[in-house]
Amino acid sequence: MAGGPSKEVLAEIASRPGRDTVVSSIVKYVLVLTSLGFLAALLFAPLATVFITALSKGWEMYLEAFKDEDTLAAIRLTLTVAAIVVPMNTIFGIAAAWAIAKFEFRGKSFLITLIDLPIAVSPVVSGLVYVLLFGAQGWFGLWLQERDISIIFAVPGIVLATMFVTFPYVARELIPLMQQLGNDEEEAAITLGAGGLMTFFHVTLPKIRWGLVYGVILCNARAMGEFGAVSVVSGHVRGLTTTMPLHVEILYQEYNFVAAFAVASLLTLLAVLTLVIKSLVELKRK
Amino acid sequence: MSITLDQVTKRYQGSPVVNDVSLEVGEGEFYVLLGPSGSGKSTLLRAIAGLTGVDHGRIALHGNDVTHVSARQRGVGLVFQNYALFRHMTVGENIEFALKVRRMKAAERRERRKELLRLVALEGMDDRLPTQLSGGQQQRVAVARALAHKPPVLLLDEPFGALDAKIREELRRTIRQVQRELKITTVLVTHDQEEAFALADRIGVMNLGRLLESGKPDELYARPATRFVATFLGAANLLLARQTEQGIRFGTTPVNARRVEKLDGGREQEVVAVLRPEEVELAPTRDNLRTNFIANGIVEEAVFTGALERMRVRMADGAANAHIGTHSSNGHHSPTALLDVTRTQHEQRLFPVTIGQTVAIGVRRIHVLPTPLSSYTAYGADEAACERLAQHPLLVELANRMKTRIIKRVESALAAGVATASAPVSGVAVISGGPNSAEQLQWLLQNGAGEVLVLPTHSASPQRVLIHWAEDSARRSTLAVAASLLRHVAAEAVYVGILPEGSGEAQRPFGVRTLLDARSEAQAVHGLEMRTELRFGAAAEELQRQLSDSEAPMLILGVSDPAQLRHTFGALFAAGAPYPLMVVYRPGRDSEGVSE
Repeated sequence: MAGGPSKEVLAEIASRPGRDTVVSSIVKYVLVLTSLGFLAALLFAPLATVFITALSKGWEMYLEAFKDEDTLAAIRLTLTVAAIVVPMNTIFGIAAAWAIAKFEFRGKSFLITLIDLPIAVSPVVSGLVYVLLFGAQGWFGLWLQERDISIIFAVPGIVLATMFVTFPYVARELIPLMQQLGNDEEEAAITLGAGGLMTFFHVTLPKIRWGLVYGVILCNARAMGEFGAVSVVSGHVRGLTTTMPLHVEILYQEYNFVAAFAVASLLTLLAVLTLVIKSLVELKRK
Repeated sequence: MSITLDQVTKRYQGSPVVNDVSLEVGEGEFYVLLGPSGSGKSTLLRAIAGLTGVDHGRIALHGNDVTHVSARQRGVGLVFQNYALFRHMTVGENIEFALKVRRMKAAERRERRKELLRLVALEGMDDRLPTQLSGGQQQRVAVARALAHKPPVLLLDEPFGALDAKIREELRRTIRQVQRELKITTVLVTHDQEEAFALADRIGVMNLGRLLESGKPDELYARPATRFVATFLGAANLLLARQTEQGIRFGTTPVNARRVEKLDGGREQEVVAVLRPEEVELAPTRDNLRTNFIANGIVEEAVFTGALERMRVRMADGAANAHIGTHSSNGHHSPTALLDVTRTQHEQRLFPVTIGQTVAIGVRRIHVLPTPLSSYTAYGADEAACERLAQHPLLVELANRMKTRIIKRVESALAAGVATASAPVSGVAVISGGPNSAEQLQWLLQNGAGEVLVLPTHSASPQRVLIHWAEDSARRSTLAVAASLLRHVAAEAVYVGILPEGSGEAQRPFGVRTLLDARSEAQAVHGLEMRTELRFGAAAEELQRQLSDSEAPMLILGVSDPAQLRHTFGALFAAGAPYPLMVVYRPGRDSEGVSE
């Protein structure tokens, strides 16, 4: 402990009564109140607004909003996209995390950077990339047109863009976990005669399950809520290529506030639910 | 044989971590692989289990070659240092895992589980989770789990590493008991010599990827063949002595210890003697000693440790110069001339000593290491050259690893070419490589040097050591030097046999036989595992080609006639070799003079 105050001095300071304690408690309350104020202004108020506006014309009108064909289609599309994207990214995420945590290979650090890329890149850019690749003027545009396959301004484009944006969530959650847990249990299982699949399902998966659930939840939340990338590739065809976030925007621009906020409230509830599950999982992990 | 390893080599990024290990473990034997961390012992164990592939060599379990069989198929029982229990399964599920994999019926599984839990004294713990158990209990579960499927061999990788001393001893006893009861062939890896002594039927000591020696614990302790084993197994004082026809001499003091083992041949030479601290006797005067006097000394330190008294005695006369250091297994290195001594309570009562007291030192038993490399003498034409050479990183590394010393000797004759040296050459003479190295080498050989190391200014630690001798008469001593050197260097050994260009197919069997003879002699007599290569052509050219093809090479060259160096191998010295070169010279008739 060269240079610092000696133990005696520190003990003496700690034992001083009164003044310091009062000051520190004032600091504490000021800090807490400031953060609460910020939260209230920036988080709770908008959240409340969503529900107040959605219910401003009463329950009937709120429920009416969900009877609209286009709204239902948007909800269906969002669920479909999530149902495709989340399992695929779960598999990709496990595979990537496995490769990175368990093996040494050339270009490993490059792969890690690549996995982080979707988080670093603006969602709009992520969407534009697909337009450039598969759009009418894109690299594969002509080839696709000849075969009558549409990706951009159609469901496949939305799935691709969502998949790109949500790719890192599972992998990033699993990589540090797998690295920390090591290989010993798997090696023990192999010497005991277990094959690859058995080792994976009976040893690895139970070991990483809570981390995996956590990653999947985050991945799902982002998949359902993604706006930027999807907006670029969707083409906003009502009832066909609008997901819930896009539909909220469309309704809002049509001054249909109640319906817009009703759908928004649904998305919000989804977020709240995600957070609840997330906290439960975190509790379980401990 | 339960486990047979044949020249197993595993490289990591080019350098061998397990280097040509051959080993046989018998049925029901408890074999302990002992070595410091990084010696390759765990890698070797993983190779036996099949978790690590090998780059070279063969592994057989119960006579079946399993070198290319997967870990899953080998099915050995493996116990890890950190238990590696399946944390989400109960103790019972953990133990039954291997049986479930093999689709054994539930009732039989339960039966086997009960039996195993009894074996490791954990009855009734079936439903606990690993996290609810203590470290020692977890490791017992791991042992039971590893034994569940009746594996052909049991491998334990530092199984006591994470446990405290008391539990360690208890678990050690359990494992020994289980092993005896099941009569299962067991290999245990550890860095703890006490553990090795407590458990092993046989111990194999590893260092730098090589299996240095293998044998019964008491034999290894009493008659180690290498410095490393002498100092790693227990504490040892290493002294340089001269072996003459009359016996051992420390400096000017002749010692006629009864238990000095004689080396073959009568050539007077420098040797390394091992004195165990408990074999040293102290007495008030020389006449009171009941054993052979080696020196007078002054007691510098005395520590009471319960059963034993540990002392350090500074040797006063002739023998002091002989001392090259005291080494105990805890890696501690005392300055020269201090002799480590331990005495029993009984000895203490007979002759109580105080610090500062002058005593006579006797020795009950001296063990002479069968190594031709005793010490290094750096030769230079002037003080600066000498000093530079003595600081050479490779030389310093070698001396450190061999736990020996480097003496500096300025010989103006080296440059002038005068015929005789000012003092006889002893140990390994070292000169720096350069344009004059050929003449200096000749001069040293004429003055009685047996081994000369030529070091280029810049040379890394060698990774590949080529061995070659010009005539069969130099074979024995060259192999001895190579074996001794390679124990201290993490490098591959390759013997290069060279037949003259144009020697036809008829000569080939002869060449191959020479190679095989060389290999088996190296293995049998010196415990050195080496590869062999047969080349055709002029010796110097072929060696040159081999050397330039290798990364960080070194050459050990045996000759029995100094003229050969000029005529046959002149090309190797022409430009001042860029690699370390060890020349072993034994005059033709005296080829059997040095053994091992």
